[in-house]
Amino acid sequence: MELTLIVVLVIALALFFDFTNGFHDTANAMATPIATGALRPKVAVALAAVLNLIGAFLSTAVAQTISGGLIREGDDGVFITPELIFAGLLGAIVWNMVTWLLGLPSSSSHALFGGLIGAALVGFGVQAIDGSVVMSKIILPALLAPLTAGLVAYAATKLAYAITRRYDGKPDGRDGFRHAQVFSSSLVALAHGTNDAQKTMGVITLTLISVGLQPVGSAPETWVVVTCAIAIALGTYMGGWRIIKTLGTGLTDVKPAQGFASETATAATILASSHLGFALSTTQVASGSVIGSGLGRRGSKVRWRTAGRIGIGWLMTLPAAGGVGALAAVVALQLGTLGILVDTIVGAAVVGGIFLWSRRNEVSHRNVLSEVADSGRAVKIKRNPKPKKKVLS
Amino acid sequence: MIEWSSFLIVLVASITSTAAVVSAYALGIRLLTVSGRTPIVTPAEFTDAITVVSPAEAKAAAKRAAKAAKKSPLTDGQKRAALLGAWACFAISAAAVLFGIYLIVPALHGG
Repeated sequence: MELTLIVVLVIALALFFDFTNGFHDTANAMATPIATGALRPKVAVALAAVLNLIGAFLSTAVAQTISGGLIREGDDGVFITPELIFAGLLGAIVWNMVTWLLGLPSSSSHALFGGLIGAALVGFGVQAIDGSVVMSKIILPALLAPLTAGLVAYAATKLAYAITRRYDGKPDGRDGFRHAQVFSSSLVALAHGTNDAQKTMGVITLTLISVGLQPVGSAPETWVVVTCAIAIALGTYMGGWRIIKTLGTGLTDVKPAQGFASETATAATILASSHLGFALSTTQVASGSVIGSGLGRRGSKVRWRTAGRIGIGWLMTLPAAGGVGALAAVVALQLGTLGILVDTIVGAAVVGGIFLWSRRNEVSHRNVLSEVADSGRAVKIKRNPKPKKKVLS
Repeated sequence: MIEWSSFLIVLVASITSTAAVVSAYALGIRLLTVSGRTPIVTPAEFTDAITVVSPAEAKAAAKRAAKAAKKSPLTDGQKRAALLGAWACFAISAAAVLFGIYLIVPALHGG
């Protein structure tokens, strides 16, 4: 079988999803160093892009298992078709664009799973979905990830401040945490690169296998690896400034020691979860860490309203991406090739529309934090008050 | 269903490793300050969420640090020991970063 229109479209769409994945997730690693001024905004996204590019080449082993058992495949199950992958990707991309417009950090993997689940529901009905796998692989981890990371970051922030706290009012040197932030955030970016580009490689490989262009169970082709790595790096370099703004300043005001604690917590939690067999979403871990570190620093406030919006976004991810995926699948299956074209055109219109809408109040590296900085200039804020010793009574 | 035991392991591993790394680095900063070399690192762009640091303020901070260092009751030997300890702490943090890279790169740990 040769390269048909649908295969080409799926590959293009998968690469575009990879791109949105990149700019959606820049914030996970780079929001806090940008917020504390450890790195210039442009330098930070460039660093994240390079590390994502390197990361994408580092491991290519996981790509075949993209559906992760969610969709029952194989002899007794269903056989996923390019049309359904196409519809699933469309759902994931649309949801990624919507959350980006709203500045909400949300998991791109969950968007992808949601889209694929929605498409599979239309294609094969309810029996295509393994409910218990959805629960144990997506819903429970989504609750546990921010709690775990929040707890870890809270403890780490408390420790960092307790160790450097001086009661004599002399300089405490907490500025020095800015240097450390460069390394801790880089680790997060690298870890992200080894995970997220793989998903797209997996989708493309799955498509190629499903139309018989590639033997079952084979590794992704070199060109797939290279294009996916470049797509995610480009996306990362674009910098999802809206999401960086939310994570860096929307949840809580991040200070260097706090930023370092939260990044270390993110890196450690992700590494532990990926090596000890309990997969957690990078985005959810990173958001939880920022909140936890905000709770851990004396005198800082967590804006729960923003946290609540993010939480609602997470709850919506699966059904919303699934809904769009299902809709696209209905159109594609009912109208055939015409339906695919309709999907493509409508999808492009929605993405373009969201992009144009975003231009109305653009957030970029120039103004990502300026509003906050301006208010800091306008309002003379007291220096940190001298810490008081706790009196044991 | 969900593997609570592996989740618990992940939780414990993340807390202990994060606490170790953050404590090491924080202790390094503390010792560096004690040894009279308070790190003054101004933000790259004046984006710090609340406190906007102007060059003049950075200078003032450096001055305060120097003054505090001068008044230190420690002997030179003690300061040198503190500095040594600080670098040892930073070395531990650097080792943690290297271990992180080792865990991330599959070619290094054979998986």
